[in-house]
This record gives sequence, C-alpha cells and structure tokens, in this order.
Amino acid sequence: MPSLRLCDALAGHARQRPEAVALVWGGRRTTYRRLADLADELASALDRLDLDRRRPLCVPAHKTPETIALLIAAFRSGHTVLTPSPGLGAAVLGTLTAQARCSAVLTVDDRGALHHDDVPQDEAAADGFDTVDPSVSRLLLTTSGSTGTPKIVPVAADAFDRFAAWAGSHFHLTEQDALLSYAPLNFDLSLLDVWTGLRLGATVVLVEEDSSTDARHLRELVTAHGITFVQGVPMLHRLLTGDDARYPGVRTVVLTGDTVPRPLLTRLGAAFPGARFHNVFGCTETNDSFVHEVDPGAAGERTPIGRPLPGVRALVLDDEGQVLDGPGTGELYVSTPFQTAGYLERRRNEGVFVPAPDGSEGVFYRTGDVVSRDAEGLHWLEGRTDFQVKVRGVRTNVQEVENVLAAHPDVAEAAVVALPDPEAGYRLHAQVTRRPGTALTSLRLRTHGAAHLPRHALPSSVQVGDTPLPRTATGKPDRNLIKALRQKGHHA
Amino acid sequence: MSTLVDEIRSYVVTEFLDGEDTSDLTPDFDLIANGVVDSLGLVRVVSHLSRAYAIPVDDIPLKPEHFRSIAAIAGFVESARPAVV
Repeated sequence: MPSLRLCDALAGHARQRPEAVALVWGGRRTTYRRLADLADELASALDRLDLDRRRPLCVPAHKTPETIALLIAAFRSGHTVLTPSPGLGAAVLGTLTAQARCSAVLTVDDRGALHHDDVPQDEAAADGFDTVDPSVSRLLLTTSGSTGTPKIVPVAADAFDRFAAWAGSHFHLTEQDALLSYAPLNFDLSLLDVWTGLRLGATVVLVEEDSSTDARHLRELVTAHGITFVQGVPMLHRLLTGDDARYPGVRTVVLTGDTVPRPLLTRLGAAFPGARFHNVFGCTETNDSFVHEVDPGAAGERTPIGRPLPGVRALVLDDEGQVLDGPGTGELYVSTPFQTAGYLERRRNEGVFVPAPDGSEGVFYRTGDVVSRDAEGLHWLEGRTDFQVKVRGVRTNVQEVENVLAAHPDVAEAAVVALPDPEAGYRLHAQVTRRPGTALTSLRLRTHGAAHLPRHALPSSVQVGDTPLPRTATGKPDRNLIKALRQKGHHA
Repeated sequence: MSTLVDEIRSYVVTEFLDGEDTSDLTPDFDLIANGVVDSLGLVRVVSHLSRAYAIPVDDIPLKPEHFRSIAAIAGFVESARPAVV
C-alpha cells in the first residue's frame, strides 16, 4: 500500500498468478485476483465520493482483507492514508484526524461495502502540523502512544520501497512464502509481514484482532497454512512454544519488540527446528535499524541487537554527548534509509531528528535507547534513557533489573517499574507472573535477584501472581498501568 | 521468645512485605541481603524497636547484623530491652 511499486507488483500478481492466495483471514482465503477485484470496486466507490486528495483519508486499521483492499484502493487513487489503531477512543481519533487534516474516516464491512464519515476541517487543531504531500508519503503511521495522543509518523513511499527490498533479500522471501502477521495492522511490523509479503506475491496469514492471545488458534494457523515466516514480540513466541509444539516448516523467525530471555530462546530452538532466528531492532520512526542472527543452541544470557543494517548509520553518544569511536555505552542515534522525515507535528522533531552528531551528512533520530558496543562491534541494548532512575542516589537501570528477574526459570514474565519515593528518590516495584505449576514466591524471587543484582537495584516490593501482566496494544507489558495501579494502591 | 519472634515477623510483614505471599518467610531469612530491608528501612526498624520495646535509640547500634533476620532482631530485642519488673 505505501508505494506505487507495491500497487504495480500487486497488479502483476493478479495477472500472472490470479489463483495464488494473497490473504488468509478467519478461515477465508483471498486470492490475488479477488484482492485486485475488491480493490477495484473500492477504488470506484472512493472516486464517487470525490474526496479532496490534498487531505489524507483515515482508515482505522482493522485487520481484515477488505480493509487491506481499501488501503490499496486509496493508495492507488492517489490518497494518503492515516491508519490509526482501530481501538482508539472517539476523542483521540477525532484529535488525530483533525491534526492530520483528514477529509473522512472510511471503513469497509465484510461484504466489501464502503462507509464514510466526513471529518470537519479544524485548522486550530491542525496548527503546528505539516500538511502531507501524497507524492511523497502515502502512509501515516502512529506511534503506540503509551501516553496521550499518538504521534503521527509519515512513511515516505521510497522509504518503504527500500525497506521492502532489504527485507525481501535479507530473509530470502519469495512468492512461495507464507507469512504470519501477528502485529496490529497499524503497527510498523506490518510493513514487513503484510506489505512486503504482498509485494512479493506471498501468502499473508492474518491473525484476527480478537485471537491474539489464543495459543491453540495461533498454533493451528502456523501448522494449517504452511507458515514459513514468523515475526513477533516475545508474547507471540511464548504462546507458540507452549506444550512442546513443533513447526518444522518455518524457516525464518524474527524476534522483535522486546528482549527475549534465554529460556524462551531455547524453547524456540526446539519448536522451530528448521528455522533461522533474527533479533531485529527498530522503531516506528526509523523502521528496522539493527539485526542479529541468533543460534538458540549457543545463545548467551543476553542476545545482542547486533550490527546496523546495510545503509544504516549508528552512533553511540556518551553522557557528555561525545560520539564514541570504539566500545562503550551511551545513547543510540540512528539514520536509516527507511526513516520518516519527521513527525507531522513540527515541534516534536526538535532535539529528536537532529543533524548528524559526528558532523557528517544526514538526519539522525535520537532513539532514547541506551546501547553498549563491544570490541567486535556488536551492539547490546541496555535499556531506555528514561529507564534510568536513581534509587537511593545510585543510578539504576530498571530494565536490567527486569531482565534479571525474567531470567528466573519459574518466571513467565516480569515488569519492573520505578515509583517516585520521597526518601529514596525512586523505589523499584516488580510485578511478576509465575509459570503455571510453579510455586514461586516473592521471597524466592528476591533471593534470586540478590544473587545477580547490586543491593540498590533490588526491588523494594515484589508481587508474584498467576495472572498475566496487563498489556499495551502492541503486546508489551503496560508498565504505565502497573505503575499507576501500584501508586493508587498505596494512596488508598 | 516465640511470641516476640511472631511480633517481629508480623511487623516485618506489615511494614516491608505488604501484600506479598510470606508463607515461606522463616526466622532466619536474610532480610538485608535479599533487599527486604534497605538502609532506609533499617532506620525504620530501629525507630520501631525503640518505641515498641522501650529501648533508648542511643542504645541501638545501627549494625546490620542485629537486623539481618527476624531471629536476629528478636535476639537483639531480648538482650536489649529493659527487664520487666
């Protein structure tokens, strides 16, 4: 969807391999011919609406073949499309569409009928936001937005084309592949597992929005549809690897979104005996920037994010803002061939999209990620700059504490948050889900932590339970919610 | 002594392990090494012992070994509190 080349490629697949399956959803197969026909019908319906092409459309990113066809239609007709999460509340959606100066919110039902709601123009709400040039960007993604209104991130068409070319060749993807698409359609991961897959003429198996935690269903999808490529956050990999499930047909597994603890890697190795494993690092603003091939059998305690992708420049800046030449730890700045030109809201770009810190050409994105570079040039994610807190005066990385707790064999998942404390500055709170059937207690977990962490980094409170952690829309532990609930509990 | 151990245990649970499963909290569990009582917590323990058992604060050395476990705290209180007349 995000480029004309994609549209050309799709038209080609529909001509040359009309009966090849493009999409699988809810047990229904959509061939490339059907997808092209559906997109044609929707393009005609769009034309009849006669919407202003200078204003983007808003298509809530429902993960259905019809929505994907609508996106293809809109794009081919010369529209730029904002694709927010379908789960956004009306107020946030209203704000986003006004900021992007959208003309209408469009949805399509499962019979292919187009519905539209006009968006009133609101120049006050759009003040400070760039207008979008459809000849440059056809897609507006949003950040996951853990706080407040998501930020709008335009994806340039040529940036997508470069990304699709890299991903296709790096993962050796062809029309023979079947890709499991687990992430929400509004998420940048879809640029690979939906849009790159379709561009190549492969089969994309969509995990339905309400099935994302249904382990049995996920396992059936992988087995029944001959999936060869699986990309997802650790939660997906946990769900897929339960009950000693095995998927000999999968040849590529992409780990992304969060660090993968070694016990999970070991299980992945057993579950996907024919696969190569890639730890991929990136964000909505830059798309993928680092990759590292992992051998689960030889994996260490931690897995590096590896080296920059071809064409990606990565700089590590120390606390004084000096560019580190060799090994060291600091904040990561990247410049990728796939990155956005900046958030739609101009003032958000200040200090975030910056001139090359080493004085060279280009614009760098300040990631807020703390990485270490070792003597071999491998990069290791240490956490976020905003995960650094002072506990009783000692600089403490909340993420490191979390990683240590997560490494306990009885821990299914762990989240550690820093709570402001009048005495200590911050104190750490750990929220942990134990593996079913284990008798892990908070005291045992404390003992484990004490064996691996400096004293100041031991959480002052440790909650161990059996219920899964609350999650964000993108499947990561909702640390803000955990923090808020804990603080509320203490004030009550 | 066992009443005292129970009292101390109850205090530690309420003050430092609120809401946590403490069924496996034994009298010799190392409260300091395991991060239950930190340096700021130690001050709170001392102040509590002083009030609850009428031990002058000046008589309570801020030495972690006295407070390393429930048993150690109970032992310290036993030796330091004024004899009941």
